[in-house]
Amino acid sequence: MDEQNLQSIIEEIWPKLKKKHLYPEIPMPRVREIPEQEKGESEEDEDVGLEMKQKQLTINGAFVSQMKDKMPEKRVIEALLDHGITHYTFCPWDFHTHLRLYAAAKKVVGDKELAKQVSNHFIDVIADTHCVRKRFTEIPELHRNLKKGAIEEVIAFLYQKIWGMDLGIPPSKMGMKGRIDIVRRLARIPYLDRSRWGESIQKFARTLKPLLIEEQKEQGAQGGKGERNPQGEHDLNHYSSEEIDQGLRDYARQTMTLSEFKDVVEDFSDELSGAGYGMEGGMGRGQGNPVDADVLFYMKLAENYSIPIKKFPLEENGSLHPYSHCPWEIGAPFQDVDMWTSFGKIMPGITQIWTKREGKGRGKIEGTPDCLIVIDSSGSMINPRKSLSYAVLGAACATNAYLHNNSKVGVYNFSDAPMGGKEILNYTDRREEIYRALCKYFGGGTALDLEDLMPLIQGKKKLDLFIITDMKITNLEALIGFFGQIQNRVTAVHIGDNPYAARFEKAVERRKNISIYTVNRTEDIPHIVLGRIRDYFNPTHTKKS
Amino acid sequence: MKSSTPPHKSSILPPNKENWITKNPFEEFKTFTASTPGLPMDQIVQSTEAVMDRIRWGYEKLLEEEAKELVWMVQYNTIIKAYEVAEKYVKEINYTAEDIEDFCFALENTQRIPYLIPGPAGIYLSALCNYANEEEMVLKLSELKTEINLVGFRLPKGKRLIIEGDTGDFTGIGLEGGELVIDGNAKNWTGAGMRGGKILIKKNIGLHAGEWMMGGEIYVGGRVRGLGNIVEGKVYEREKLLYPGKVRYPNVYY
Repeated sequence: MDEQNLQSIIEEIWPKLKKKHLYPEIPMPRVREIPEQEKGESEEDEDVGLEMKQKQLTINGAFVSQMKDKMPEKRVIEALLDHGITHYTFCPWDFHTHLRLYAAAKKVVGDKELAKQVSNHFIDVIADTHCVRKRFTEIPELHRNLKKGAIEEVIAFLYQKIWGMDLGIPPSKMGMKGRIDIVRRLARIPYLDRSRWGESIQKFARTLKPLLIEEQKEQGAQGGKGERNPQGEHDLNHYSSEEIDQGLRDYARQTMTLSEFKDVVEDFSDELSGAGYGMEGGMGRGQGNPVDADVLFYMKLAENYSIPIKKFPLEENGSLHPYSHCPWEIGAPFQDVDMWTSFGKIMPGITQIWTKREGKGRGKIEGTPDCLIVIDSSGSMINPRKSLSYAVLGAACATNAYLHNNSKVGVYNFSDAPMGGKEILNYTDRREEIYRALCKYFGGGTALDLEDLMPLIQGKKKLDLFIITDMKITNLEALIGFFGQIQNRVTAVHIGDNPYAARFEKAVERRKNISIYTVNRTEDIPHIVLGRIRDYFNPTHTKKS
Repeated sequence: MKSSTPPHKSSILPPNKENWITKNPFEEFKTFTASTPGLPMDQIVQSTEAVMDRIRWGYEKLLEEEAKELVWMVQYNTIIKAYEVAEKYVKEINYTAEDIEDFCFALENTQRIPYLIPGPAGIYLSALCNYANEEEMVLKLSELKTEINLVGFRLPKGKRLIIEGDTGDFTGIGLEGGELVIDGNAKNWTGAGMRGGKILIKKNIGLHAGEWMMGGEIYVGGRVRGLGNIVEGKVYEREKLLYPGKVRYPNVYY
């Protein structure tokens, strides 16, 4: 049957399917067009029936044709689409869930490829079981007719057991190598209980692991790749870049552990690079450098916190007026939100903010200055590439706050600066560059070189300073003297109470432009520091000095 | 009386009254809401959960009784007393090897079972194994992060327990004729006080192996770090008879 006929079948059944699945926001599925020269060239073409890219479901015509002797095309298409839609409406639902399931499986099987296989099988079992349970579907019939490998046979036998339907797998086929045992264990898993998916996938992985290893060995011996999933592969193509952003953000917040995040991100590095991560612009778009998992971790974790900045009068030639709309994103300031075009909602994708333009005229308007972030990366600080550094996280949150207000950020990352242990980044709005500079770790002694700082400050009429350190600085007196001279707003964050911090606090206590924040418990930094920074920036809670 | 409706009211009704009948906007979904056929999976999951709840409840009861002892010492009387309590709860439950396995993993999940105290947990696990209906049981515990102590305590004659993974101290103590197979390592005091039966350990065991052992055999596929004071019985290391023999600490050097 040609592609046009298949497309007409899809068009015929799509309204019914949409109704059945309670009207999911999924575009009309398409039939994959096979170029003439490729037709009949490869058998692999017939292996996979469904492709899912972002939210576009694509049916493989070759697969449907190959199945037509066993099952009418219409029913094959319906079963494939039921399966595909359920991935968007139930499991995995979003990229964060996908990552969580993968990470849980990886903890058990230890191997990247095996973990991907386990999570894919698990996601499929849940989606199909949900569909069989909740909808009238052709999925069981499709499974009855699919070509099966060893693992697919075990899973089909599992379906027989938990769905109570005959899928054509006789128990005698399962007798070998304790496969009945495996199925018995798999059948006990509460697949449809979303709150227990974490522990369920671990049990699923534990049970299936010997079989997967056996299959991996067999494939290795044959020198070939494994069989492809006829119901479609589960990779990052399922998700849009916004969903990937959101998923990484949620996963970073949920784990709060650099090593776990790094582990998972590195496993998906090829796919993430393909999706555009690893380039400038918020780990932006297009093929480029390998993904820096550490930088990505702080970037995504910092996106979970937002710090409002108190603006102050900047001299400008004109005044700003709303000019055009642009989409609002998480962490961006609320004050410019246009409630009329945002339908009264604060939600990425819906909410819009006004972009302002300078008009003609004269006067002083409020604005946000650029910021110089001074960060200590000496040996007494946590290495941000080994474990979660709250100093880097705090600095990252401050970076986001300034960048969201269209200001630029410069970085002075120091350890033993006079001996060359320093990294200077000039004022920029390139987020990834700033994060890379913040994540640099020297791990040596702690000394500032004021001669480095002066050029960064001079010539800037308005500039905020943000310093984050444990204050165990060899030339602390010089720093105190320097802060005594400048009029810029300074936010100083020191980690832990120590005599150096007390000395610094005492020395600058009369300076109204300097606010000092102490963090006694390192793990509280993201909460306490950010809260106190918020106090500082929020005029109603301004610290009285 | 219907006919007594004031005429002015009827005058505001449109000529076609059908348009004014309230329609359920979700009418279209009516057919789908009720159509959730029960699957055998629901039954399986439900009964599994019910059994697990009972096993967990028994363990919590045991902990309640044992919590009176501030420090849980592995002493003869303590173990006997705890085992008697465990027996009392376990006898009333109908379970399978998979339930025991699930219980072991649930022990590591603090959300489900708040306390994992290695002593009582091992005693309870042993009671579960000893009172299970199956004569041969395989517990796949190789992914368990905790090594459970006292596994195989008092394993009776006619029972075969296979553990895939490592076990902790006091493995197979007081064995009463059963066969305990550990597909991994065991720690110190393995087979202490055993009266009969067989313990097979695929890898290594620790110190004091077979302390006050009264009978039975211990086969170790790897190394035995040190033997205890054995009264009677046999200990083999890599098919070589260690006891009866002169070597007390065959591998004390590592």
